[in-house]
Amino acid sequence: MGLFSTINIAASGMTAERLRQDVIADNIANQSTTRTPEGGPFRRSRVILRPRVEQPYFRLPFLPDQWDNGAGNGVRVVEVQKDMSTETRLVYDPTHPDAIKSGPRAGYVEYPNVNIVTEMVDLIAASRAYEANAAIANGAKAMFMKALEIGR
Amino acid sequence: MLEGTTFGRTMELLQRSMDVSTMRYGVIADNIANADVPNFKRSDVNFEAALKRAIDSERYEPRMRVTATDPRHIVSSTSADWRDVRPRRVLDYLSTVKNNGNNVDAEKEFMDSLTNQLRYSMMTQAAAFEFNQVSLVLR
Repeated sequence: MGLFSTINIAASGMTAERLRQDVIADNIANQSTTRTPEGGPFRRSRVILRPRVEQPYFRLPFLPDQWDNGAGNGVRVVEVQKDMSTETRLVYDPTHPDAIKSGPRAGYVEYPNVNIVTEMVDLIAASRAYEANAAIANGAKAMFMKALEIGR
Repeated sequence: MLEGTTFGRTMELLQRSMDVSTMRYGVIADNIANADVPNFKRSDVNFEAALKRAIDSERYEPRMRVTATDPRHIVSSTSADWRDVRPRRVLDYLSTVKNNGNNVDAEKEFMDSLTNQLRYSMMTQAAAFEFNQVSLVLR
């Protein structure tokens, strides 16, 4: 494990957090979108993250050396998933072109399941995590520069 | 050329410690990169305590030494060689800090990364000092 791999780990974290911020921005931008190509209202997306090396979760305090696949190489995005489980918001507006025409919910318009408070909290978490990864990258750079000063 | 001298020993110790410091920094970076991943467990690196134990065992003088005249005899006391001490990555799998099963505590990781950086820069200064001593002699 060298210093460059540390910078790569921090970069993977920054990439993941940037994508989370992009997805949150998309959710907030589409919070009133009632019409999508796949039909129905817009559904909020969420980012699923995993460690880049799946850690072995043996119930052992010390891992035998041959099973230890290193400290991991950062984080990766598995998928951007549509949140279909959260209920959409129903607003009564019969004149709206996307209003439900028949059935018990006639006259209601389905609005996306975007909760602005949730999105803002996630946004703060993502931007703090981005800053944390940037600080780690800067620290790695400072350590590298210190190592170069040995020969001076 | 430099084996057995104070310079050689110091440089080897410094080199190993800096190596471990780099590795620990990578582990901390990985912990912070995975700070939002559900069920991720943080890792740590153990080295300094084991190194200290090995160095202390060199100085340790037993009260009574049993003579071993045959290679099959059990020796009463052996001193561990500090060159054999390897850094060990340990998974902190028992604790949970957040509701999603993740146990990365951002403050703790940052403090660790800070102390690690300071330790590393201290060791680079010590190495530079050693080289300066040698160049003083060579002048």
